[in-house]
Order: sequence, then structure tokens, then C-alpha cells
Amino acid sequence: MRILLSILLLYACINVFAQPRAAFTHISTEDGTGLASNVVHSLYQDQKGFIWVGTANGLQRFDGSKFVSFHVSKPGYDEMPQAAVSQVIPADSGKLMLAMVPIRSFGIFDPSNFTYKKIPIKVLRPIPARSQFWVWKTSEGKIYITISGFGLVVYNKKQQAFIEEDPFHLPKNWLPKTAGIFEDAIQQRYWIAADSGLCIFDRSSKQLWHKGYNPRHIPALDNPLLQDNVNRIYIDRKRRLWVLGWSKLGQYEYCFDSTGAVFLEKDTAGLHTGPVGYTEFNYFYEPRKSGMWIYGNSVLFNWDANLQRFYFNKSRLNSDEISIDYETVWQLMEDKDGSLWLATDRGLYYTPLGNDSSNVTNLIFKNDKINTSITDVLELPNGNILFASWGEGIKAVDKYFRPVKHDIYKQPFPEDWSESLKGTAKLTWALCTEPATTNVWIGCNEGVLLIYDTLARRTKYLQPEVFNKKTIRYITNDRFGNMWLGTQGGRLVKYHDGNFEVMQEFGTIIYKVFVDKQGWLWIATHEKGIYAVDPVSNTIVQHYTSDGDGAHVYTNTANDIEQLNDSIIIYGGGVLNFINKKNKTVRLLKYEDGLPSNNVLRLRMDRAGYLWIVTSNGLCRYNPNNNRITPYGRKDGVFLGEQANVCDYACNNGDLIFAGGNAVVMFNPSIFSNNHPPPDVTLTDFQLFSKYIPVDSLMQLPAVKLLHDQNSFTIYFSSLSFVQRDKLTYYYKMEGLDDEWHKADRGYFINYSLLPPGKYVFKIYCENLEGMRSMNTTEINIHIKPPFWQTWWFRSCILFVIALIIYDLHNARVKRLLAVEKLRNKVARDLHDDMGSTLSTINILTAMAKTKMNSDAVKTTEYLGKISDNSQRMMEAMDDIVWSIKPSNDSMNKITARMREFATNVLEAKEIELDFKVDDKVYDEKLDMEARRDFFLIFKEAVNNAAKYSKAEKVTVHISSQHKNLVLTVKDDGIGFDPEKADSGNGLGNMRKRAESMRGVLKFESGEGNGTNVILKVPLS
Amino acid sequence: MNRLISQKFRFYSFICIALLLFVHGYNLKETYLTPASLVDEPITFAGYFEYFISNGLLRFRIPMLFMISGYIFSLQDYKPYAERAKKRFVTLMIPYFIWGAIGIGITWLWQQNEIMAQAVQQSKVDQFGVNKPYAELGWIEVLKRWLIAPPSYQLWFIRNLFVYNLLYPVFRWIVTKYPIPWFSIMFILMVMIFQLYIIDAQGMFFFTAGIWLNKTHFPLDKKPIWFSAYLYWLIFIGIVVIKTFMAFEFESHNFVTYWTMMLMHFIAVMAGVVAVWYSGDAVVKWFMHRKWFLWATSFSFIIFGLHVPLLNYVMSLSHMYLHNIPNYRLISFLVIPLLMILFCIEVGALLRKLLPGWYRIATGGRGI
Repeated sequence: MRILLSILLLYACINVFAQPRAAFTHISTEDGTGLASNVVHSLYQDQKGFIWVGTANGLQRFDGSKFVSFHVSKPGYDEMPQAAVSQVIPADSGKLMLAMVPIRSFGIFDPSNFTYKKIPIKVLRPIPARSQFWVWKTSEGKIYITISGFGLVVYNKKQQAFIEEDPFHLPKNWLPKTAGIFEDAIQQRYWIAADSGLCIFDRSSKQLWHKGYNPRHIPALDNPLLQDNVNRIYIDRKRRLWVLGWSKLGQYEYCFDSTGAVFLEKDTAGLHTGPVGYTEFNYFYEPRKSGMWIYGNSVLFNWDANLQRFYFNKSRLNSDEISIDYETVWQLMEDKDGSLWLATDRGLYYTPLGNDSSNVTNLIFKNDKINTSITDVLELPNGNILFASWGEGIKAVDKYFRPVKHDIYKQPFPEDWSESLKGTAKLTWALCTEPATTNVWIGCNEGVLLIYDTLARRTKYLQPEVFNKKTIRYITNDRFGNMWLGTQGGRLVKYHDGNFEVMQEFGTIIYKVFVDKQGWLWIATHEKGIYAVDPVSNTIVQHYTSDGDGAHVYTNTANDIEQLNDSIIIYGGGVLNFINKKNKTVRLLKYEDGLPSNNVLRLRMDRAGYLWIVTSNGLCRYNPNNNRITPYGRKDGVFLGEQANVCDYACNNGDLIFAGGNAVVMFNPSIFSNNHPPPDVTLTDFQLFSKYIPVDSLMQLPAVKLLHDQNSFTIYFSSLSFVQRDKLTYYYKMEGLDDEWHKADRGYFINYSLLPPGKYVFKIYCENLEGMRSMNTTEINIHIKPPFWQTWWFRSCILFVIALIIYDLHNARVKRLLAVEKLRNKVARDLHDDMGSTLSTINILTAMAKTKMNSDAVKTTEYLGKISDNSQRMMEAMDDIVWSIKPSNDSMNKITARMREFATNVLEAKEIELDFKVDDKVYDEKLDMEARRDFFLIFKEAVNNAAKYSKAEKVTVHISSQHKNLVLTVKDDGIGFDPEKADSGNGLGNMRKRAESMRGVLKFESGEGNGTNVILKVPLS
Repeated sequence: MNRLISQKFRFYSFICIALLLFVHGYNLKETYLTPASLVDEPITFAGYFEYFISNGLLRFRIPMLFMISGYIFSLQDYKPYAERAKKRFVTLMIPYFIWGAIGIGITWLWQQNEIMAQAVQQSKVDQFGVNKPYAELGWIEVLKRWLIAPPSYQLWFIRNLFVYNLLYPVFRWIVTKYPIPWFSIMFILMVMIFQLYIIDAQGMFFFTAGIWLNKTHFPLDKKPIWFSAYLYWLIFIGIVVIKTFMAFEFESHNFVTYWTMMLMHFIAVMAGVVAVWYSGDAVVKWFMHRKWFLWATSFSFIIFGLHVPLLNYVMSLSHMYLHNIPNYRLISFLVIPLLMILFCIEVGALLRKLLPGWYRIATGGRGI
């Protein structure tokens, strides 16, 4: 879309001129968007659509609503200086090469992780103190810096430095001007403005051509105008060669044909008019579709295709809302929407660009003495446009809004008209063409009617009595050629066959007379609602008011009427009133439904069936297909929408004109038709608590993983289309939290606080006002990790451990029961084996003693002695059983004490010396009940044997702990025996069995006359 | 080998193959499963259940099949090596080529119909990752899919088994001479998922474990004293439950995640093999006294050879048509494998009846 904004300065109806220029919107540090400095040096829009802005206070990123500064300082990377960023050049993989010329620092910024790497210039020669630097990138992707007075350096990725390189092989002592190199990508040539002349480097032949070597005879190289002090070269899309340089007379701006031979003076028309004082033309810029801009210090020109000359965009400080204020324009950049962005020393500006065929014309009629008030518009068959004004009469402009003279007032007034009546001819209110004659009817104050014959160029001045000297507010015609006129006094007058006839008296102001497709007349009145009049029967067929019978309209006063289709009449009374004339119903469309204001002022249908509406809050469009309202404002190039509120007109070519006061807006509605879906939504920032996380890097991750206490964050989003973003409706959903889509508000961020742990997917899409949805839904996975104690795996681990513990407890209980059972069996068996048999013996001996007691005293005594022995053994056995069961005897202290006691008792009786030794380590060991008993009984048997059979004088007992074995040694110095021949009766056999039950080893070391050594080795658990 | 062990081998071989269909019927977003696979989707009953079954509870199958194979193969040491190798080629590699070709044929047939071709494409069965119609592939590409990486990807088992059979003398020597070093090394390699071309550590570990069990006359028919059904089932199921939760809740594949998952996998597998083997005697006896079951077990190999890629394609097709039905994934996961087992048995029965000669070759003489 392109905008041409014209200002017509009307001066006392005589001096009228038009000037086309761009309308600029200013972004500054004062408007709250966050621009770091009003001195903006450089601009670059990345692939996603973010605009990177190099300001005097560092680098910033603009997402359409806010600027984000980057103060980069990360471990392992360099700190990005907060200096003026003179240039922003795209490097590889989305990285940006930043030039901070004032501090002679260059570096690469990576937006994906917010890191900065300083790139030093490593050269052997010193760089002059006054050198200037210019970074540029070739079509092959190499990045150079031209250093004035020095030469060229190239960015070397391996060395991470700029190193000296002259790819053009310039003649010795020839140096390129700072920004004097232009790459002609089509011809694969570089044009070099060097300090000693113009050069061309041909990439295909790798030759450097200049005035001293010009094998292709390129005229530019021989052109005397281009030999010295050329400092800028540009070849435009028309292959014209533009040259900026300095001569003794000052700066020159040349335009040549593609060879440089023919000077195209006409193509520079306008470049030398306008600027006052010192100027510098520095740069050229061509938008993608058309146009040419030249800018620099105190200059900003753009090519006006209509006038075939450059237009100077004058710097106007605080002049109006659409001008630009600058001292220096540093850079121009066209964004993806086709808007032009301007980096200046007074802030950032943008202007919607268009092309020659599609534009919006905003016009301000200015007059220092009289405030122009436009009341109606009319297009003449020749394309000229007439503007009726209150006090200024009729003004005429051509299709380019250049003022043209007209002769409407050339005809002398009737002689009988008073001066005041003559003056009413300039108080014009209504314009209309009479179809049959092409005469222009001009309704004026005091019921004066001017009928201008466009063919004869004569004007009839009339003041028919039928108007009752009331202002003619509206004139129209019907399909039968009748002219209909509405007056301030409320008369509806019909003109037919040369006669005026009062058809209706409404008694109030008639604002509009609208003839619908059926031929009915719809009359918009002041405070009396809207009437429908059948012109054939001259009867009021329908009447709608805000408070009468039947369907109600919003208000009784309306300025305009339109027809949507055969049934629907749109009444612009406050809101949009859709009157269904067939079923006599009214539907309202209000502010709450998307209307910019409940004060509708103008209505006009376009050829595509859209209704254009001027409200007190600007221009908008109603789409009857989806019942949606689309507002159009500054970003669309409509600057004066709310001011152009008095009259409207549809031109023959489909253009619409709205006018009012001193403002005119004219456009072709088709330029606003949008058949493309809106761009996908971009997540612009991810703010975790107060910290911004690089969203580029986040989007590359399968999921944003957050800890359980990182559950409050804000997601910023935007459509990176500066023009469309405010016309889009955003819908978002956090899957895992929301079941439905939510409509986002205009804050362009969603805040989430204290999200519970889980896996979420944030989804967002946008919809334009036509109801078209963005192609893709933008998504980001967000995983908030639960603390480990809230995870299911941890909970199940706990359950698992509990189950294992239960098993263990159960197992231990079963083992314990089994052990008890085993013990009971053992005790029972021992009691049975040891006690039972002995008691039986005692019983038998007692019986036998009884029988012999009176007859055989010797026998009886013998039996009693045996009873006594058995009782004694039984007591000992009982003592052993009890001792072994008793838990307090589990310690080795107790065991060894009992062993010592036993050995002492037995051996002392036999007068055998006892040497009983226990190693200290033994006391730390433990034996279970079974083992303890077996261990003791083996010892007991060994000592008994020594006492009974060894005839020893000394018995040595030694208990030690060796290699996790408990070792018992019972050694005597007796007669010994041959273990091979020894009776393996109960004694030794029992000892061996007991040793086996302990998983121990029992050895007998003995020989006849060598004493006996019994060794028991029991493994300790 | 006594009758009980023989019955158990037959029973578990069939069960392991039948359950294979539930593993291959796993139908979450990412269908390729490794022991340490994580699930990148929210935890749901269906998702949990499928992972629990396919990548947990049923993971004991392949180890058990390898052990059974190793055990049975080591029973025939009296036969000459060459004769055994030849026989194994006939019983393993010939079926490998036959069923690989059948898988390609099934795929090609499905690709002839637009919707079914879409199901083939969405199932992503192609092991080369090129899910193009075969008509767009050259003969070399088709040949590679037949000989190297067939769409019937389950055939890797019999291919690897053939290689292990060839290596049997080496395995027998090493497990009888140096069992502890061998199994220690194999266990470490297994946890690391070592794979050298077609030789994988897991297969070798369990195949040689089968050999070792036979050669040491391990009493497979008697419950060991140390066996506790409660403990082994608890470890088996408990670890699988925990591992499944971990699969959903662990965020990324780092060192700790990987080793935790792998360790838990092998603990579960070991416990599972022991638990299943020693706990199911009553079940085995019950089923093995049922004629219909014995008849069905004879078609184990047909089920094994035929179910992939057919199961994947049917699963994909079902998703295309059923995705609007609640719990369609779980329903598909439960129903389609069952139907596929019945289908394979029916096909096997028909083939055995109508083409007994071909059936013998295609199954390597199994189930005749």
C-alpha cells in the first residue's frame, strides 16, 4: 500500500498548490515504547520480522510494540559495549554484525542466546586517527569494512577477526572512499569510488578497470565528471548510475544512463530545490515496488512519479502529526509489510509505502486566514474533482490534486441580487450532477441554487421560492432523472420538467436524501428519525425513530444513509442501524460490537459490497459477510479519517472520497482488500519472574523445562507485521491448563502465576478482522518439573520399598517362627534324649534297689550309687541345656568362663595342671545357641577325655580367633593315642558330628606317648 | 530334558511370541521403543498402560526366547557341527528370506490403495527411514529391504539366532570354562546396549545363559530354595511400575537417566524371567492339557513371521478411522493384536492344510 499525502495550501482562493509527500509516524523516547535514544543510526529486520535498531545507546529489538535493550555480559563471552551502534549487518545463522564506529569496536551478537563476541581488527599497519569506517556485505556473504585512509579489511571467521584484504587489487596508493563501494549484483561488478578515481572490478574476469585501464571502454570511467571526488555510487533498478561527489562548488548529484555516458538531468529534477543551508546527500534507497529515496544530512527526497520530480521532505519541527523532523537521516529500510522505516537523529519514523497505482490520499486544505470547511464533493466527467466549501465556494483540483481553475463563478450574478445574496453563492453545501444534462447543481445558503452547465461553461443563479430561503442541504437524483433536494427547513423538493415541487414537509433539517434500489426515498432528518417516501404516491411508507412505534433506531438524528442489499437500509444514526425494509426490523451494530465509535458520521458502499464508515473515531470498514468492522488509521495511511466526516463520494473509478472541515481522504478501497491470512504469531519474549530468557533459543528446544519453583512466567507475543498487528485478534490456550481458547487482550502478553508442575503446550494463533486465521498455530512446550517428592516415580519407589520392607518383616517373622519351632524341637529332643533315658535308668535302678533293699544291702548300695551318678549326669545335662538356651550366655565371655570353670573342676580333681588362654579378639565374637552348645560340648568331651584317659600332667586350652574362624585347642602332655585306631564310639563320633553341624573342622593330633592335641576350627558368620 | 521342561519351553515360546504383538502394537506418538525410551507426552492411563505393558512387563520375552533357544540347541551336541549349521540355515535363514519377502509384498500391496498407502506411510515401519512407495524406490533399495532390513523387522531375532548358533562351539567353551568373566562382561555390554552389526550383547548373554543352564544341569524343573514368588514378582512388577513413571517424568536423556533406566530394565527382565519361569507351572500344565492350545502353539512361527508389518499397518489404519473415538489408542492396542493373533493362526492353519510343503519350508518345519 502506498500513501500519497497532499497538502493544498489555499490562499484566498487564488494561490492553490499541491505537494505530494509521505506521511510519517514518529517513534521516540517519549512515547513509552522504550526506544533507548532518539539518535537512531541503523536498522535491520530479521527473518522473523523483528526490527533491530542501532541507537546511540546501544542495540535494541522492536517487536511492534516495545523496544528491548540488550545488555549482554555472559561468562565466556565478551561484554557488549553500550555504545552507539552505527550499523547492523546480518551475519551467518541469524547473527548480527554490529559496528560501533565511535569506539571503533565491532562484534557479532547472537540473538538466540544473547551473546556477544568482539571481532577485533587485526592489521599490521596503523589505522589513521581520522579514519571513518563503513561495514558492508557482499552478495556472497563476506563482510568487509572500508576504512578511509587505510583500505579494506574482511571478516575472517576462523580467526574471529577482521584482517586486511583487498579483493579488488586497487592500484598502489588508491584507496576506496568510506562508503564508496557498490556491488552491481546483476553484472557481477563492483563500482569503487576511490580517492584517485572511479574503478570497476569485474568479478568474472577478476580485472580492475579505471581511467588508466579501460579495456571495455566503459564511458563512466572516461567521463571527466566522474574522475575526482566521487564518494558514492548507486545503480538503481532502472540501471541508472547515480553518483554523489564533491566539486569546488560543493556537492553534486549526477544521474547517468547505465554506461555513464549520458547525463540524465531530468531524472534529478527537484533535487536542488527545497533544502536550505548545509546539506549532504549520502545514501540512496529503492523500495521493493517502486520509488527512489535520497537522503543524508538535512536532505530527504523521494521521487514523485506523478510530478516526475523529487519531492523534498522538509524537516518540520513540531509542525503537524504527519511531518518528519530530522537533521540527519542515517538509514532507510523497508519492512516486510512494505512500510518504510527511517533512522534519524530525532527518532525513528515509519511511513507506509505503496506504489504508484495504489495509495491513500490525505489532503489538508490550509489557509492562514480562513478555515476551510468542505461540505460536499463531486467528480466531473473529465476527472476533476469539485469541493463545495462553506465560505470558499467551489474548489477544483485535477486527479493528482493539482489545483485547476474553474469558471463556475465567472458568470455575473443577477443584477437584482444583493451583495449578501451574492455571498451565499460561496456558502455552498451540496453538489450533484444532473444526469440528463451533466449540469452541476450546487446547493447554497438562503435557498440559492447554482446550476452550472459544464458544456456551455455557464452558471445559472437561482433562488427558487420553493426552498423558502433555507439552505439546500442535499441534492440527489432518481432513476427517472428527477432531481431531489432537501433543505435546512425540512422541505423535500422535487425538480421535474423545469418545475420545483414541494413533496414533503418534515419541519426539521434534512441531512440526506437517499434513493434506494426500489426507488424509495430515504430521508435522514434532525431529531425526527428516518423516513421512507414512495415518490410515486408521495406517501411516507415507513418511519423509524428511537422512541416511536415499531422497531427503534438508535437515535433520531443521522447524517447518512446507505443501502446494503435489496432489503437492508443502513441508517447512520449514532450507531449502524440495519433497517430491514421488508420486515420492518432494525438491528444495531454498536461500539460494543466493534464499531470504533457510537457516532457514525458518513457511510459509503464500495463496489465490492463493503460499507465504509467515518465515525468520530476514524475510518473503518464493515464487512457484511462476517459482520466485522475493520478500523483503518495511521498505519494504513489514513491520517485524517475522523476529520473527513461531512461528505463522501464514490468516483467513477471506484475511489472513495471522504471530506469535511479542511480534510480530505481519498483511496481505492481495493487496496485494503486482504485475501491473505495474517502472519503467524511470534513469541517475542519469555519472562521468567523478572528475567527475560532468549526466546529464539527457547523455540529451538523441544520444550522449555522449568523447575517446580520457576512456575511464574510471562509470554509475550505479537504478529511481527507492524501494519496488521493491531487489526488481529489473538487466541491462546495453555494445553494442560485450559480446555478452551481464550481471546487475548491488547497487552500482547499472557501472564501465568504459580502453575502447578506438569507438561503444558502454549498455543496461540491470530485472526484478522476478515475472520481469516493465521496459517499456523505457534506453540511452545513448557514442562514444569515437579519436585522429586511429588513425582510418581518417587512415590512408587516409596511403595516399592515399603513392599520390600513388608516382605522382609514377613520373612523375618517366618524365620523367627521356624527358629522357635526348631528350638522347641531341639529342647524336646534333648530333654527326651538326655533326661528321658537317664530318668528311665534311675527309675529302673530305684525299683531294683527297692527289691534288694531288705535282701541285698551291697546291691542296693550299688544301685543307689548308680542312681546318684545318673542324677548327677542328668543335673549336668540339664545344666548344659539351660545354659545353652539362656540368651545371657551368648557372649564369648560367658562361654569361656564356663569352659574355664568346667576344666578347672575336672582337672583339679585329677591333679592335672590347667593352662587356659583366651585371646582378646575372641571376646568380640558371638556364637548362636546351637553353635555355643556344640562348641562347649566338644570342649567338654575333649577335657573329659584328657582327664580320664591321657594321664597327663598338664592340659593347655587355647581359644583364639584366626581368619574369621574360632579356633579351640585342647592339648595335653599325656600318653596320647593313635587316632586311626581309636574307638570311634560315641565320644569322638559325637564330637565330629557337632563340629559338622557348626560347619567346622575337628582334628585330632596325637600319637602314642606324644600327648593329644584336639583342634576345632569353627567359621564365624 | 524332562516332560515338564519340554512343556514349559513350548508354552513360553508361544506366549512370548503372542505377547510380541502387544509390544509391536505400542501406539503412542513415538512408537520406536528402546529399554531407556522416554515418553514425550503427558501421562495418561492409556499411555501409561501401553508403556507399562510393552516396554516393561513384556520385556522378558526376548531374553526368555534366547535362553530357551540356547538351552535346546545345546542339547544336540552329539550332532556334527556342519549338519547342525545346515539345518539351522534351513530352519532360520530360509524363513528369514521368505517372511522378509512377504513383508515387502504386503507393504507393496497396501501401497496400491491410496488410504492404505497413507497408513503404510504413517506407520513409519521402513528401517531405512524412507517411507516412500516401493514404486519410487529402485531395485537395489528393495533388495536392501529384503536382505538387510526388511519391513518385517521382527525377523532380526531369527537372523541373530542363526549367527549365535554358528558361534555355538565358542559359546559352549567359554560358558563352561569361564562363566563368571563371560557373563560379567556380557552384562556390562548388555547394559551398554552393545551391538556389533547383527551381534548384540543381550542376545549373546541370554543365549549363552541357556547353554550354561543346560551344561551345568541347572534344575529348571524345581523351584530353587532361594526363589520367592512374592519377592521376584514384586521386583519385576515394582521396577516396571517405577520405570514406566520415570519414562513419563524424566525430562531428558542424560547420563543418569539412561543408566537408571537401563539398570532398572535389566533388573526387571532378570526378575521377570525367573518369576515367570518358576511361577507358572500350574498355568503351564493347565494350558498344555488343552487341545486347542496345543493346536494354537503349533502356529507360533506363523504368528512371529506374519504379524509385522501387517500389525503396524492395521494399527495405523485404525488410528486414521478411529481417532475421534475416546480412548481409541488403548482400544486399538488391546484389540488389534488379539485379532492379529487369531488372523495369523487362521492363515497358518489354512496354509498348513492347503500348502503343506510350502508351509514346512516357510516355518522351518515348525508346527507340522
